[in-house]
Amino acid sequence: MPVCGGAGRVVKGQPFLRSFVTPAALCAFAFLAAMAAVLQYSVRTFVPGSLEPGGFALENFADLLKPLYARVFIDTVWICFLTAVFTLLIGYPLAYALVRLRNQFAKSFILITVITPLFLGEVVRTYSWIIVLGNNGFINSVLLKLGLIAQPIQFMFTTVGVVVALVHVTMPVMVVILAAALSHIDRNYLRAAESLGAGPIRAFATVTLPLSMPGIVAGVTTAFAWTFSAFATPQLIGGGRVNMISNLVYQLGFASFNFPFAASLCVAGLTLIVIILWLTRLAMRPLERIGPH
Amino acid sequence: MKRFLLVLFALAFAMPAQAQDKLVVSIWGGSWRDLVAETVAKKFTAETGVPVDFITGGTIDRLNKARLAKDNPESDITFTTSHVGWLYANSGLFEKLDLAKIPNASNLVDEARFSPFHLGSWAYVYTIGYRSDLIKDIKFSTWNDLWNPELKGKIAAPDFDPSHLIVVAAILSGGDAEHWQVGQDKLKALKPNFKAFYSDDANSQQLLASGETPVQDVLSMNAYYMIGQGSPITVDIPREGGVLGVDAVAIMTGSKKADLAYKFINVLYEPDVQAAIAKQKKGSPVVTNAKLDADLAKLPGVFTSPAQWKQQIVIDPKLRAEKLPEWRKWFSENIMN
Repeated sequence: MPVCGGAGRVVKGQPFLRSFVTPAALCAFAFLAAMAAVLQYSVRTFVPGSLEPGGFALENFADLLKPLYARVFIDTVWICFLTAVFTLLIGYPLAYALVRLRNQFAKSFILITVITPLFLGEVVRTYSWIIVLGNNGFINSVLLKLGLIAQPIQFMFTTVGVVVALVHVTMPVMVVILAAALSHIDRNYLRAAESLGAGPIRAFATVTLPLSMPGIVAGVTTAFAWTFSAFATPQLIGGGRVNMISNLVYQLGFASFNFPFAASLCVAGLTLIVIILWLTRLAMRPLERIGPH
Repeated sequence: MKRFLLVLFALAFAMPAQAQDKLVVSIWGGSWRDLVAETVAKKFTAETGVPVDFITGGTIDRLNKARLAKDNPESDITFTTSHVGWLYANSGLFEKLDLAKIPNASNLVDEARFSPFHLGSWAYVYTIGYRSDLIKDIKFSTWNDLWNPELKGKIAAPDFDPSHLIVVAAILSGGDAEHWQVGQDKLKALKPNFKAFYSDDANSQQLLASGETPVQDVLSMNAYYMIGQGSPITVDIPREGGVLGVDAVAIMTGSKKADLAYKFINVLYEPDVQAAIAKQKKGSPVVTNAKLDADLAKLPGVFTSPAQWKQQIVIDPKLRAEKLPEWRKWFSENIMN
C-alpha cells in the first residue's frame, strides 16, 4: 500500500476509493450546474407576468449601479466587517479561556454557552434577539427600570441590532477556529518568554497573540464570509430597513418573480466576496507568516 | 433473511400502489395545511374513501417545483394566491377547468372567478389593524388616517407585497391600480410613518404583539387569530374598503387523478365546508349559499352579501401578477430605503 505519493496513485492502488469519490464528484457537478443556471439567468431579461426569462442582455448588471443596490452592497460589506471584528473581540477571550483554563467545569460552561446556539438555528436565535432588543425587550426594560434612559433605545430595525444578533450567530464558528489555533501553540514558547522576565501581558502580546494570527485570519475570514450570506437575521431584525444582499435577492426573486435580476445580484455578490476574501488574504499574508511553523 | 427480503419486496410494490390511491394537494404549511386537512380533505375522504396527501411549501417554492415537474406534476391540486395563479396559468401548469364537473361552483361569487384555469377558495382583506391599548386617540375610518402625523414611526406593511398600499394611495389620489403612478407622491408622504416591513405572517404577528409597530396594513385573518389569543387588537375596514384577497385553487396539468381533483374542488364549494373554513380562519366564504354564525358574519372582512363584496378594493389578479415586480421595485427604491 502506498503510504505517500499522489492521490492518483492511492486511488490506483485501492480502486474502491473511486466509489468514495463518486458522491463528491456528483455533488460538485450539481453545484456547478446550479451555478451555470444562475449565471445564465443573470444575463436574461425579465418578462413581467411570465416565469420564463426573455432574451440575452446585460441590463441587469447596469441596474446594479443604481444607488439603492449599490448601497445594499456597501451596507452588506460594512455589516460583515463589523460582525467579524466584534466577533473576534468577544470570541478571542472566550477561546483563550477555553484552551487555558484548568477548571473542567468552567471549560464546559464556556463550551456549552458558545456551542449551544449552533443547535438552535438562525431563526430561533434571531427571534430570541427580537425579545431582547425590542422597545419593550429585556435591555430597554432593565435600562428604563434603572432610570438610565427615559425613552427606549431603538435597537430593532437598525444596523446596531443586526450586528449584535449576527455576532451571536457567528460566535461559535469564531471560537472553535480560534480555540483550535490557540491549542496548537507550543507552551514552551510562553515558558521561555516568562523565564526571560516577560510578565503575563507581555508574554501574551509578544508570543500568544502573534502565534495565534493564522487562527485570527481564518476566523475573521470565515466570519466575514459566513455573515455575507446571512438572511434570517437581517430580515427579521432589520425589518426591511436594514437590507443585505441575500434579502434583496429574496425580495426580487420571491416577491417580484424577477429571477434574472435576482440572479445578477447573486453573481455580483459572489464576485464581490471572492474579491474581498482574496484581498483580505493578500493583506493578512504577512501576519500569517508570524504563526507557528 | 428470506422473510426479510420478501417483506422488502412486498413493500416496494405496495408503496407506489398506495401513493396512486391518494389525491395530492400542494398548499402552504402550518395552519393553511391544517385548514384544508380538517375541512375539505376530511369530507372528501369520507365521501370518496380516497386519502389526501399534502405537499407544503412557500408560494414561490411550490411554483418553481411545479415548473420543473411540468407535465408530470407532484400534486393534483394546488392552492396559491390569485395573482401567482396567473403565473401558473401563463406557464401552462393549470388545467382548463370544466365547470360542469364542479356543480357547486355555480354559487361562486364573481370575485372568485379568476380565469378558466383557477378559481377562488376563500377570501380575506388586507386592512388596518392596530393595538387599541397603544393607539387610543386615533380611529381609522378612512385609509387617509394612516397619514396622521401622530403615527410617525408606528406603521408596518408587508415587504413581500406593496400592492395594497400602492393601490390605496392611487385611489386616494384619484387613480386606480392601472394608473398607480398618480399615487406615488401620496405614498412617499407616508414614508415617515413606516417603522418596519414584515416578511411573513409570523413576523407581522410578532411586531404587533410586541407593540414595535402598533399599526399595520394587516391580513384580517392574522389579526383575528391574535385577537383569539387575547391580544388587544382592533380591525377597522376603511370606508374605501379593505384590499380584497382571494386565494386560488386549480388542477395541475397532467394530473392523472383529474376526476378526483374535480370532486375535491366540488367539496371545497359545499356550503358547510365553506362555513367551516370561514369559522376556522375568520375569513369569507366564496360561495353565496354558506350559512355563517351571526358573530362571525358581523366581523369586518367577512362578507355575506354581494354589496359587501362590491365595497372592497379589488386588484385584478392578472394585472397584479404583471405589475407586482414594478410595484415592488418602486416601493423598495422609494419607500423602504
